[in-house]
Amino acid sequence: MKFGEIFLGVLTAMGGFVEIGELTFTLNAGQQFDWALLWVVPLGTVGIMVYCEMAGRVAAVRGRPVFALVRERTGFNSALLTLLASLAVNLLTCAAEIGGVALLLQLLLGSPYRLLILVTFAMLVLVVWFVSFKWIERIFGLGGLLLIVFLVAAVYFGPDWTHVAQGLLPHVPRDAGARETLLYFFYAVALLSSIMLPYETYFYASGGIEDEWKPADVGLNRFVVLVGFALGGLLSASLVGVGTEYFAPNEIQPQSPGAAALGIAHVFGPIGLLLALGGMFFAFGGAAIETALSSAYNLAQFAGWPWGKHLRRRHAGRFTLSWLATFALAAVVALSGVNPISIVEYSIVFSVVILPFTYFPVLAVASDRTIMGKHANGPLANALGWFYLVLITGAGIAALPLLFLTHGGRG
Amino acid sequence: MTKPKPFDLVRDLLDHELVDVDHVPCGRVDDIELELTPQGLSISALLVGPGAWSPRLPALARMIARAMFGRERVRVPIDEVIDIGDVVQLRSRATQMGLGILDRRVGRWLSRIPHA
Repeated sequence: MKFGEIFLGVLTAMGGFVEIGELTFTLNAGQQFDWALLWVVPLGTVGIMVYCEMAGRVAAVRGRPVFALVRERTGFNSALLTLLASLAVNLLTCAAEIGGVALLLQLLLGSPYRLLILVTFAMLVLVVWFVSFKWIERIFGLGGLLLIVFLVAAVYFGPDWTHVAQGLLPHVPRDAGARETLLYFFYAVALLSSIMLPYETYFYASGGIEDEWKPADVGLNRFVVLVGFALGGLLSASLVGVGTEYFAPNEIQPQSPGAAALGIAHVFGPIGLLLALGGMFFAFGGAAIETALSSAYNLAQFAGWPWGKHLRRRHAGRFTLSWLATFALAAVVALSGVNPISIVEYSIVFSVVILPFTYFPVLAVASDRTIMGKHANGPLANALGWFYLVLITGAGIAALPLLFLTHGGRG
Repeated sequence: MTKPKPFDLVRDLLDHELVDVDHVPCGRVDDIELELTPQGLSISALLVGPGAWSPRLPALARMIARAMFGRERVRVPIDEVIDIGDVVQLRSRATQMGLGILDRRVGRWLSRIPHA
C-alpha cells in the first residue's frame, strides 16, 4: 500500500472542505440554523466521494484527466464555457485564499495587509516552483490536519446529541418565515456546492496522473477518497458544531479567519488558537495551490498542451505560465481590497452551475464498459452518479435565484 | 464474419488529443478535413489551432476569438496518423509538423530561470 498517496485525498479535501469561504460559511450556517443544515454535509461528502472516485479511477485505468473528458464528451463549445467558468471560479477562490493567508499572517505579525498579500504570493510561487507535487501534498495535507482542533472543540462543547441526530434529517427549522426559509435553502445549496467544488475533481484526477497511478491503483484510489473526504466531511460537520455551540449562543458572526479561531481560543487558550491559525494557514495555502494548479491543468488538458508538475518547466511552458498567471491575477484581485470571504461566497454559488458539465463526462466515461472494461461503474456507482447528477442540476438551477432573493445570503 | 465496428467521427476523433512520436501532447483535433473521392468520403487531414476551432463558435464569440488568437491553423495530413484510440498518435515529431511552437517558445524563455 502506497500510504503516502493518502495525502492527495487529504489535500484535495482540505482545499475544498475547509478553505476560507467554506470555513466561515459553515460556521455561519451553524450560527444561524444550529444543527439544521448538518444533513448537507454527509450528502455532499458522499457526492464528492462518488465523483472523485470515478475521476480517479478513469485517471488510473486510462490515464485520462477530467478536462480531457469534458472536451471529448461535451464538445468544443460546451467545454469552452465550462473551462471559462472554472477558470473564473478558480481565480476568485485563489484570490480569496491568498487574502485569507495574508489575514492570518497579519494576525501573527501585524504587518500591512497588502504587503502580506505580496509575501503570500511570493511564498506560494516559490513553493510550487521548487517543491515536488508529492511534498506539496504531504506538507499542506498534513498541516491542514491541525484543523482537527475544531473537531475536538465541537465535541468538547458537549452538544445535545439528539439535536445533532435530528440535524441529519433535512428539515426547515420550525417557526421559520418566508425569509428564513429562503435563506435556509440558500445555505443548503451553497453548502452542497462548497463541499462538491469542481476544482476538487480536476485536481484529484490530475494529481493521480501526477502520482503515476496505474490500473492496479484502483483500490488505492478508493481508499484515498474514502479516508481523505471522510476526514474533510468530519471537519465540515465540526464547523457546523462550533457555529451552533459557540457562535450562536454568543451572538458572534464569524466573518473572518481570526473570528473563526475565537471559539477555539475560548476553549483551548493560546495553544488552541495557534493550532487553529496554523491549520487554516495550510488549508488556505493548499487551496490556493489547488486552484492555481487546477486552472493550469484545465487549460492544458482542454488545449492538448504538455502538462504536469513532474515535467521540467521548460517542457511544459504554457502549463507553467498558466499557474504563474493564476497566482499573479489572484494576487491583483486580492490587492484590490475586496473582502476575500465575499468573493469566495459568490464563487461557491457559481460553482454549482458548472458542476453538471464537469460531472456528466466523468460519469459517461466511468460507466462505459468499452472504455473502462472490468473497472467500469457497477450498479451502485451508476445509481449514485445519476442521483447526484440530478441533485446538482437541480441545485444549479436554484442557485442563482436563491442568491438574488436572499441578497447574497444576507437575508 | 463480424461486422466492423462503426467509427464515429465526432465521438472517436474530433476534439481528441494529438500526441507526437515521443508521446508529447501537441494539440487537439479542432476540425476534420474531408475529401470526396470516387471511393466515397474520406478523411484527408486533421486541423489544429484557432483557425480550425474558431469557426465552431457562435458568430460573436468567433469574432472575439479571431481578434484574440488569430486564424492560424496547422494541417496534419491523415498519413501522419498511426493510431486512433484515447489519443491520436502521430508518426513525426510535433516540431516537424509545426505543432506546439508556442509551448517551446515559452519553455525556452522559462529555461532562463533557475530550476526550470
